[in-house]
Amino acid sequence: MSDATIEVLGLRKRFGRTLAVDGLSFRVEPGTVTGFVGPNGAGKSTTMRALLGLDAPDEGRALVGGRPYHALRTPLLEVGALLDAAALHPARRGRDHLRWLAHSHGLPAHRVDEVLEQVGMETAARRRAGGYSLGMRQRLGIAAALLGDPPVLLLDEPVNGLDPEGIQWIRGLLRRLAAEGRAILVSSHLMSELEDTADHLVVIGRGRLIADTAVSDLIAAASGDRVRLRTDARTEAMELLARAGATVSVTDRDTLTVTGLPARRIVELLNGADVPFAEVGAHRATLEEAYMELTREAVEFTSHTDTDEVAS
Amino acid sequence: MTTTPTRTPTPYRSRLHPARAGFGRLLHAEWTKFRTVRAWPLVLAVAAVVTALVCLLGANGSSISGGGDDTLGPDGTEVVDVFRYTHRPLTGDGTVTVRVTGLKSADDKTIEPWAKAGLSVKENLTPGSAYAAVLATPAHGVRMQWNYTHDTAGSSTNVTTSPRWLRLTRTGDHLTGYESADGHTWTKIRDVRLPGLPRTVQVGLFVGTPDHEDVRRAFGGTSETYGGGRATGTFDHLALQGTSASGSWTSTDMGPAAPGGPVAQNAPPSGTTAVSASGTYTVTGHGDIAPAQGGPDTVQMSFQGVFFAVLFMVALGTLFVTAEYKRGLIRTTFTATPARLKVLAAKTTVITAVTFTTGLVAIAVGFNLAQHALRTNGFKPPEFPDLSLFENPALRAVVGSAALLSLVAVLALAVGVILRNSAGTIATVVVLVILPQILSFAFPLPAAQWLLRVTPAAAFAIQQGVTHYHQVKYNCLPESGCYPLSPWNGLAVLAAYTAAALLLAAWSLRRRDA
Repeated sequence: MSDATIEVLGLRKRFGRTLAVDGLSFRVEPGTVTGFVGPNGAGKSTTMRALLGLDAPDEGRALVGGRPYHALRTPLLEVGALLDAAALHPARRGRDHLRWLAHSHGLPAHRVDEVLEQVGMETAARRRAGGYSLGMRQRLGIAAALLGDPPVLLLDEPVNGLDPEGIQWIRGLLRRLAAEGRAILVSSHLMSELEDTADHLVVIGRGRLIADTAVSDLIAAASGDRVRLRTDARTEAMELLARAGATVSVTDRDTLTVTGLPARRIVELLNGADVPFAEVGAHRATLEEAYMELTREAVEFTSHTDTDEVAS
Repeated sequence: MTTTPTRTPTPYRSRLHPARAGFGRLLHAEWTKFRTVRAWPLVLAVAAVVTALVCLLGANGSSISGGGDDTLGPDGTEVVDVFRYTHRPLTGDGTVTVRVTGLKSADDKTIEPWAKAGLSVKENLTPGSAYAAVLATPAHGVRMQWNYTHDTAGSSTNVTTSPRWLRLTRTGDHLTGYESADGHTWTKIRDVRLPGLPRTVQVGLFVGTPDHEDVRRAFGGTSETYGGGRATGTFDHLALQGTSASGSWTSTDMGPAAPGGPVAQNAPPSGTTAVSASGTYTVTGHGDIAPAQGGPDTVQMSFQGVFFAVLFMVALGTLFVTAEYKRGLIRTTFTATPARLKVLAAKTTVITAVTFTTGLVAIAVGFNLAQHALRTNGFKPPEFPDLSLFENPALRAVVGSAALLSLVAVLALAVGVILRNSAGTIATVVVLVILPQILSFAFPLPAAQWLLRVTPAAAFAIQQGVTHYHQVKYNCLPESGCYPLSPWNGLAVLAAYTAAALLLAAWSLRRRDA
């Protein structure tokens, strides 16, 4: 048996004149939820299809557990995948969809019941898939991915279409699955969907790697040495701190972001000048902010070097 | 809050036992797919009912009356046994020799390619009795023929321009035919056995020519030229070695005695035999010694439902694969089974099994219903013997028709893999299988017959119950249900199309992204 890893090495895939994936490399380790992020058309789905042996790469390799997908003898027991929740025959019952998948690997019938329970679809699975909401399709697709109890999961936009309760559910599920030592790659075009879920991020744009980083490192870098200051005396505070050499920007009606001075020095200055304030604290960037910062750099970078079209 | 794992995680292992992903499991998966889309088994059931019903209704629309004076050969085959015979009895073994010096039309028309002049040993003078003959023809050389359905080619001499010596020897049950250019050096054509041949038989020379029959068809009309002609053969050096009860040759117009038969209606003036002082025989006669052709085919008439069943099978074969492409489900299939050719094989096996089984039952029921209806409508023994489902040609036609349905379904499945689109696939397969049939009713005859040879429509030949003998000129009219190829060759044409489509589908699966 192989390790629970996903490896993409120098992957390049062209569709006609469009270079969908352009020399992409990254690795997903066991025990982590890795967010696979990029705008629509960045090459996320193509990369996932290459990992699943559906699209043949023009160059490079896409390996699961160190092996190309077509070399897997019992793929459902090694990789669970959700590519497109709509990929169901509308006349087939949800349960029957899982049954044929189970039959293809000789899995017992009770396994179908187990995963249906896991995703909360016991009742709905008796109905024909044509009547499912997008959320139900997502749950059935996740059930299909979990059918073989695989150590590796590839989920393409699994949060899409889920209600808030469903989003909470899938976050918890992914955390639990990762804690068991599985390698999980979850794609999304919205960074906020991965908040509180992903440990690690692979960010791509136009088929190329923009960042491959731990979420904590990314947020720390984005937060920098900025200090958040809440005060009713905004003008006085700005003048005082600017004179002391800081860069001050207005974040909100009563909030300033200060760069260039440690929090302790700011407190001293404000106290010394009798400027009232409610709160001084280290600024912590959201994942969204960190992402915006990343992609802003990436856009500048790509505009100089990239001549290829963006995949659709 | 985002958390970073600080522990070194233990890679997860599936708790399920890695079951072997054998072909049987793949078949199970594809079978589950088939039966869980309720419309598909339903289409199969409707197809079965429609097939059996149309077989019955089609046969119910056919009736026949009269008949009863048909000539049957030694093996029960309906035959034609009409010719001018100049004969003597022969008791025990013996040899008859003659030189055929010419054969031409007696009415200044073009001689028929299968006009015959030659020697015959015949059981007796009853039409349909056993015989063996060596004979010369204008267009098909020298032949040895026996008991109506059997034929062996000798040299390719054209007797209208080159005289030919013929010899026929009886030794017990055995008849041996020879030919010669000069009367000295003889070449054996064949030795045949006529079991139960009486000690005394008739031996002599004969002349006959089949009716002229010509069908021309252009767009919008069919013209038929039909008529009985006569042929004149000239012979010399007629010699009989052996014991004969009669000292001289007698001439007889062989054929059904009773008026009202099909021959009598068209009968040309009776035959003549003239003998010159130098021993030249000039014999004019009409008719043929051959299996009868062109009668109703009560086997084929029982399969009219199969044509409709084809449409259902095309739809099933197509949707079984294109429904997956339409919704991206094919990606789930290939994720579960990356070996795409195995998936193709499993789908082919499942669709073959369900269509063949259903087709076989429906067609067998339909055939029996149709046979019952045909008997009620006058297609009765002895001219139309009862056909058993478990004997050829009925068995071959029933099993072959079920195979036809399966092959069509697999053809649709393979085309579906190539085109990945339901409408395009159904249109393509219908154009290949059904359209040639319809066009063959309208096209000029050579084009129509060509269509029924080279398109998958050739496979409907598997339903033909009458044998077409190469030694009988027969106008193969598509509207009469005639297919130019033999039953199995016809089915093989469809099988070849299906195999080619499967190969192309396999290539497409390997080369293209899913």
